[in-house]
Parts: sequence; structure tokens; C-alpha cells
Amino acid sequence: MSNHDQFRELIQGYALGALDAQERAAMESHLASGCDECSKALEEARWLVSQLAYLAPGAEPSEMLKGRLLQTVRAEAGTSATPQATVRGAAVPWWMWAGVAALLVFSMYSTWNARKLQNEITALREQAKRQTQERAKLEQEMAAAKIQAHEAMIWSDPKSVKITMPAKDPNMPQLEAMWHPEMGIVVRGWKMPSLREKRVLQLWLIPKKPGGKPMPAMTFWPDADGKFSAMVENPPDVMSDTQALAITEEPVGGSAQPTSTPMWVGGVS
Amino acid sequence: MFLAAFSPKESDEVSRDATLVHKLLRRDVSAFEEIYERHSRIVYSLVLRILRQGSTAEEVVQDVFLQLWRNSGQYDAHRGPFVPWLLTLARNRALDQLRLKGERQRRREDQTEELPQIAAAAPEYERALDEKRRAERVRSLMSSLPAAQKKAIELAYFEGLSHSEIAAALNEPLGTVKSWIRNGLLRLKESLQATS
Repeated sequence: MSNHDQFRELIQGYALGALDAQERAAMESHLASGCDECSKALEEARWLVSQLAYLAPGAEPSEMLKGRLLQTVRAEAGTSATPQATVRGAAVPWWMWAGVAALLVFSMYSTWNARKLQNEITALREQAKRQTQERAKLEQEMAAAKIQAHEAMIWSDPKSVKITMPAKDPNMPQLEAMWHPEMGIVVRGWKMPSLREKRVLQLWLIPKKPGGKPMPAMTFWPDADGKFSAMVENPPDVMSDTQALAITEEPVGGSAQPTSTPMWVGGVS
Repeated sequence: MFLAAFSPKESDEVSRDATLVHKLLRRDVSAFEEIYERHSRIVYSLVLRILRQGSTAEEVVQDVFLQLWRNSGQYDAHRGPFVPWLLTLARNRALDQLRLKGERQRRREDQTEELPQIAAAAPEYERALDEKRRAERVRSLMSSLPAAQKKAIELAYFEGLSHSEIAAALNEPLGTVKSWIRNGLLRLKESLQATS
């Protein structure tokens, strides 16, 4: 499974600012790694998102707002006169011609200086880009640390309920989950096999209510060492209404309903 | 082709905006007034839709235009067209205000001053459609979507809710909400492309 495909699925949500913390951190890390294709797709998605402004019902700001703004702007510009009220008169004094000549000399110097500045700006932009990437990386690390701390709190809090999730296949490892009534669910696994191309694992909440449909919670995948730790901060249902947790293998991006037999199931007591 | 570099043939409207913003660097009050006349209505409409209170909305719109006046150098015409940049600025300010007033608790981080890069090149269809026709196209596409899907997109854009929060608000599965939002935006793109 390619990371790139996973992130393409998240770009619209990221442009809207609608991703949850874990997905947002992963997306920012991917962008900071320098994926040009995703960066371009994100620019396009942001442009599309900005067009949603046209859904707002049309409304007119008051004339007073315009008056207040123009008053402030004119004061800051150092003039209350309109720009058209400028120099009027036929004669041009000698000192103005001298000023024009000085301006010509100055503009020649400015052209030379502008080239030099342009080079400096290019170097500064490169530096700023590197610093931005560094900052994004640090922010991603901070976000990951926050998530790890949250997971650790769920895992160790006495209010959390432990849920053992045996595998249907005896050759697969058993998973463990902890569910805290306020802080969410953490599922962890070790020695997991690699997933097939373009497939992810998806956690489901099986409701107690007869005929209730499984509720999708999140998608995740093990790392290269076969480990994973996944957290759902806002489960789609409460513990008392949930009969079991189940995990299936689904296409990248997840499914609205399971498309395969659960590989792991754990009863919620 | 979705993206195309800005060229001398870009629409007069986009070009006019870039010229006016450039004049702001020289503290040109008449340029500021023209920008306000051209775009204050859509900016105010957006902010009012988010905040739903006229007086607060006017305060935010005032902040947005004063920021433009005082920091017009933040806008770089080479990085994208002006109006989407202005709308993004206005939306961020309005959602910040919403959060500050405690009308909605949300977790937006570090998005206040540093504005994201909008399409470095305007999509072809931005130039093919004038603002009025593009607005009609956006409204038409959104009204053709199922009500719940439209609601999910509106909650994300106008209320600043996350996927999980929308799923909880609409009592729908998280995966469904994600698909609605993604597919809705992809359909919007197709709709705008189809008219170019």
C-alpha cells in the first residue's frame, strides 16, 4: 500500500480543516516530506474550498462600516484628501526638474540594487522554506507526542475497560483494546502481518441493538515492524450500547459498511 | 488541465485585483476603496453566515480589510488569485471569532495569521467563469446534493467542525461523512470544469 494513496484520500478534508488530530499530523508530516503531487492537489482543494463562500446568502455591510474603514485608512495614509486632489497649476518650478533628474539617477541605481536584492530574496526564501519544513516536522512530532500521551492515559486509567480481541485465524496475533468512557478507545497489536496493496484495517463498533449496523470508527495499518497503536478520540457510540469491537480489512479510505469477514472480534463487557 | 500558470491572458478581474493590491503597498487609499467596493459584499456574506450576528460580522470584516491595508505584502500574486486568498483570510478570522466567543469549541491550531497557499496557478475554469456565474454554479451543484451531504459540507466549512464532530452531529458513520465531503468537493470541481 502506498502512503501517497492514503494521503490523497485525506486532502479534501485537510483543506477544509476537518481532519482529526492524528490524521492532520500524518498529513502534515507527509506534506513536509516534500510530496509535490499532494502539495499541488492541496492547493487545488483549497481553491475549491474557498468557492464554498458563495453558498452564503448575499448580504450587504452597512455604509457606516465603509465610513469607519475609510476614516482609519485615510488617517493612516497621512491624508484625508482624495488622491485626485493633487498638484495643480501650469508652471513647473526648476527644483522639480532637478528632482526628476535625481529620480532618474536613483532609478538606475535602484535597478542595479533590485537585482542584487532579488538574489538575496531568493536565498532568504530558500532558507524560509527549509525553516517551514523544519517547523512542520517539529509540530508533527509534538502532535504525535500528544497522541501518545493521550493513548497512555487511556491505557493506564482505572476507568478504562480492557477488551481482548482474539483473531479468527489461529496464526494471527491477539489484539488488545482499552475503552475509556470519556477519553476514547485505544487498540494495539504486535507481530502483525503486512497488509495487501491498497488495503487498511478498519475498526467497527457492533451495536447491541438488534439489527443495528456496524459503525465505522477509524482506519489504520501496522508499521514495518508489525506494530500499531490506534486511538479513537470520539467513538461513534457509547460503551453501554456496544456489544463488541471488530476489525476487518478494507480498501484504502475505509468503507461505510464492512466488506469482509471480521479478522478480530472482542466482546465489550 | 486543472492548473495553468498565470499568464498575461488571465482575466481582467484577476489582473485588476492584483494591480489594486499592489497599489496598497504605496498606501493608495483609492485602490483600497475600490477593493472594498468590489469584494466587501461576498466577504461580509461569508462572515455573517459563520457568525450569524451583524455587529460581530462587521467587526470581523473591518479587521479583515484593515489587515489587508496594513499588511498587503502578505498577499503574493504569484502564489494565487486574490479573491480566494481574501475569502480564506475572512473565514479563518470568523472561525477564530466563533471560537473566542465560546459559541463553538473547536481545535483549530496555528491557522490564524499564516495563510495557506491557494492554487499557485488559477484553475482554468476560474478564468472561464466570472464571479457571478461561478457562484451560481456552486449553489446549483450544492443544491443537487442529498440534504445530509450538503449539511456535512456546510458544517465543515461554515462551522469549522471536524469529520468526527460532523459524524456525531448528524448521527452518521464517520466513514460516510468523510466520503460525502470528499465526493462533494470532487463533484464541485467537475461542475466548475464542465462549464469552462
